[in-house]
Amino acid sequence: MANIASKRIKREFKEIMKSEEVAGGAIRLQLVNDNWTELKGEIAGPSDTPYEGGTFVLEIKVPETYPFNPPKIRFVTKIWHPNVSSVTGAICLDILKDQWAAALTLRTVLLSLQALLSAAEPNDPQDAVVAKQFRENPHLFNLTARHWTNVYAGGPNAIWEFNQKVQRLLDMGIDEHQARVALSTYDWELERATEQLFS
Amino acid sequence: MAETSEARPSASAPGGDAGGEEDKHDERMLECNICLDTARDAVVSMCGHLFCWPCLHQWLETRPSRQVCPVCKAAISRDKVIPLYGRGNTKQEDPRNKVPPRPAGQRTEPENNSGFPGFGFGEGFHMSFGIGAFPFGVFTSTFNFGDPRPSAAPRGTAQYEEEQFLSKIFLWVAILFVLWLIFA
Repeated sequence: MANIASKRIKREFKEIMKSEEVAGGAIRLQLVNDNWTELKGEIAGPSDTPYEGGTFVLEIKVPETYPFNPPKIRFVTKIWHPNVSSVTGAICLDILKDQWAAALTLRTVLLSLQALLSAAEPNDPQDAVVAKQFRENPHLFNLTARHWTNVYAGGPNAIWEFNQKVQRLLDMGIDEHQARVALSTYDWELERATEQLFS
Repeated sequence: MAETSEARPSASAPGGDAGGEEDKHDERMLECNICLDTARDAVVSMCGHLFCWPCLHQWLETRPSRQVCPVCKAAISRDKVIPLYGRGNTKQEDPRNKVPPRPAGQRTEPENNSGFPGFGFGEGFHMSFGIGAFPFGVFTSTFNFGDPRPSAAPRGTAQYEEEQFLSKIFLWVAILFVLWLIFA
């Protein structure tokens, strides 16, 4: 790994450990391997959002050319958000692409991702299905995001009705995550979701 | 007098306690915004952000089409950064000889305002002869007195290179013209 990249990551790592965000539990950072090319990030779901109470794990890959090129980041924890793919966890955020600047750090990127959870950008979506629901049925979007946070990120708010519907599909022998995706996609209408799953 | 002697010990006491902290803070003030290390071959952008020249150079090379400040995203370019020469930096070697070279500091010579120097053919006397197209005049000549030509741009700058390039072009045009006159 290029010298400047590993040197900078080491420096950032030290600083992030001392930062008040880590002390306050808003973000966390862990090493995955010894050569500083891969890290595991964690952000707490911001309060007053459907993600509140959840912990979201991120995969961070540091390229050779860091900090001249952005780190590659995706959500490992499944999340229902217009700017994050519900399938792959890929993130649509300008600073991780063409708006990257070399003075940004892993700390500022993690904080930006946390801010993205409180302020979605449905006009520049990563997941078209989620973005459509966000625009056309905000109430249902909120419930769905809360449900996903509860199931995948350890959030405290279970949605009883949704759990029932997932259970119904489970009883039909369908994979749990597949059932949840189908139901979320078809606005929790059991019939349409079933139809799609068996078509 | 009584006031100053009283104020001094009280002012120095907190300063002495926070000495270590302050030193650390001062050091961080001089960190490059890209490598986060103390800036070496430091340059500062017009928006006031400090970088190592090698770091900033690499950043500008990475995206030549979108040259922005890594901190505040103001437009920056190679020609618009200022090198910082500290007093402690007494190395003999010229930092510009390093690869990639750091842009040179720019300084302009003061205007030379000497008036018409009488008939002494000193500075400020220029004479040139030229040959024009036949019916319009065989010889054209120009005399310039006491009109100082703008001083040549300092070596190494873009302007200097441009001037060299232009003078070469004019030289070749003149040679071709003379050849054409002889052989046509």
